[in-house]
Amino acid sequence: MRSRERLTAENAKNAAEEDLSALAALAPVAFGWLLRKETRELLASRAWWVLLVAMGPLVGVTFIGAVRTYAEASGLGGTAAGVGEAFSPLVGIWAPTFGACEVAAVFLLPFVAIRIVAGDRQSGAAKIEMQHAMPAIGHVGAKAAVLFAAWIVASLPAAIAVVLWKSYGGSIYPPELATVASGHVLNAGLTIALAALTAAISEHPSTAAILTLSVTVGTWILNFIAAVQGGIWERAASYTPPAMVAAFQHGLVRLDVVLIAMVLIASGLSLAAAWMRTGVAVRRRLNESFALAALAAAAVLTCTFATPSWDASESRANSFPEPDEEALAQIRTPLRIEAHLAPEDPRRSDLERKAISKLRRVMPKVDVQYISSTSIGLFEQTSPHYGEIWYELGGRREMSRSTTAEGVLETIYLLAGVKAREEGGDAIFRGHPLAVPPKGAAAIFYGIWPALALGCAFLTRWRYA
Amino acid sequence: MLHVRNLTKRYGRFTALSDVSFSIRPGEVLGLIGPNGSGKTTLFECLGGVLPLDAGSLMHEGRPLSDRERATTLFYLPDAIVPWPAQPVRWAIDFMLGFFAGRAHLRDEVIERFDLLPLIDVAMGSLSKGQRKRALLAIGLLMPQPLLLADEPFDGLDLRQTRDVAQTLRSYASAGRTIVLSIHQIRDAARVCDRFVLLSGGRGRGEGTLEELSAMAAARGAGASHDLEEVFLALT
Repeated sequence: MRSRERLTAENAKNAAEEDLSALAALAPVAFGWLLRKETRELLASRAWWVLLVAMGPLVGVTFIGAVRTYAEASGLGGTAAGVGEAFSPLVGIWAPTFGACEVAAVFLLPFVAIRIVAGDRQSGAAKIEMQHAMPAIGHVGAKAAVLFAAWIVASLPAAIAVVLWKSYGGSIYPPELATVASGHVLNAGLTIALAALTAAISEHPSTAAILTLSVTVGTWILNFIAAVQGGIWERAASYTPPAMVAAFQHGLVRLDVVLIAMVLIASGLSLAAAWMRTGVAVRRRLNESFALAALAAAAVLTCTFATPSWDASESRANSFPEPDEEALAQIRTPLRIEAHLAPEDPRRSDLERKAISKLRRVMPKVDVQYISSTSIGLFEQTSPHYGEIWYELGGRREMSRSTTAEGVLETIYLLAGVKAREEGGDAIFRGHPLAVPPKGAAAIFYGIWPALALGCAFLTRWRYA
Repeated sequence: MLHVRNLTKRYGRFTALSDVSFSIRPGEVLGLIGPNGSGKTTLFECLGGVLPLDAGSLMHEGRPLSDRERATTLFYLPDAIVPWPAQPVRWAIDFMLGFFAGRAHLRDEVIERFDLLPLIDVAMGSLSKGQRKRALLAIGLLMPQPLLLADEPFDGLDLRQTRDVAQTLRSYASAGRTIVLSIHQIRDAARVCDRFVLLSGGRGRGEGTLEELSAMAAARGAGASHDLEEVFLALT
């Protein structure tokens, strides 16, 4: 019997090659099994069911509040041009409603992700599963795919809110709705990648949770520093998840932000795979991690040069009126703006939000410099130059103190010698006022959804365990 | 089949394994014998690819095994794990069969041999230590790799179960399966293994059949004995 097992060297080599090719052919099947396993592990996890149950009330409280506020504002009858933005469902309904998804992505989703990624290590299943010839990225990919699908399911209450809004007679502009939803999907992707990474590098899930929340708090601190210091901090803060979500919530799709988010997701999952592998020395993992981090940093830096952006909002909230954009497009010479405003001065954020951010989208050759000697600007008010905004175009300089879009455009047109055509009345966004109460929403989000989720939890756990 | 050459593993300044070498022959049940802390689990984890080696190699037909070849050659069944605690035994077995493209034709036979039918719908996490050990051994035998490394396969089993499991392992070995067992209970090892590797203090102290080890012990001045315990004590 034993002699039959003895193979010649050639036979053994051939057998090994056959084994390897058979293994490659079986890879999709094995990945399918991993997906099934991760799905079952997700369904067996309490964290997932808590997320699912909580999503109903979370979305409910924001949606109901938003609809009520929208209705109250609409009841005032302000449908005149100029206040139309106040009645955009993008700002009035979708931003707050989907804001619940942001809360869940920050405070609940990481625990689900950590449970799925760290669970195998805790139970010892990783020692068995990682013996498969499948690369570690395959294991991480299966977990990420299931977590991603789980997030889509958990976002169903937001989809229900859309249906409810439509049933109330509310207006839906699909591009802006899709933009908001995409922002939250990307944000969830970032959370999953981060949680996977922290779960892979830490010995215990609680450490992973602390690390994940630390990174989240770190991005908040970065945003705070950016608000105080401005400059490079401001630039860096614009790529943090909260800033990214905020841009999407305003209907703005920036290619650089999307690319950077995707690079960060891919890097996070790749690093997680590097640390999930068994049988690899720590020094080698560290070297690989540094190389991967350097590669990711280079990719992120490259992505910052991708300037295209798209305004998906119906109200063109991120754009100047079309005639102004046409006029600005005629200006070929670089524009330099020097604003003497401190980072915490509200006029600076007004200028940035209402004019500069829109200007950057139309005029790629615009260089903006903020000058101040303090962060709050309170004690600079007496300085004769504080509050001045200097514009330089083709060697000509002009100063203005206006921080409105109209004021900024007027100065630029004066310098460039161009004039925008008159905008037709039809082009002005009048808004979509809707004065209806959120009928039935409370029952759905506070009653039916949690009951359904709990029912599914009990049924699933009864069936699988 | 396989040769372990000069395997060394250090944890910082502590050397857990030092220049351990031995051979694994096709179709045999090889017992890795050693007291607690002798390095058995570390050795298995190094062979199974769970821990990185500091030195040494696993040779197959004169050349070192690559990671992918190792994945198709051996399967390591760790001790003291509770994998997929929420999933029933049936699903754990089917998952492993599907994931590793295991020996599905043996599924029902192995389940019966390890008396798992009454436990088939019980969650892995709800099993007793011995029940879980039987479920995991069943999974190990269903794996497609020709070599199975099982760490402490009798840990948690009662006397009758130990005897039954030993018989089952022997029967699969006699059908061509190669099995390496790490055992700290020498009597259990004597019952099931064809050959032995003695490990103590992270060093290999001897390799061979009971007769060969006995001769080795006698050559070192110990009295002639065919008791594995006596031989082990004489050589370590």
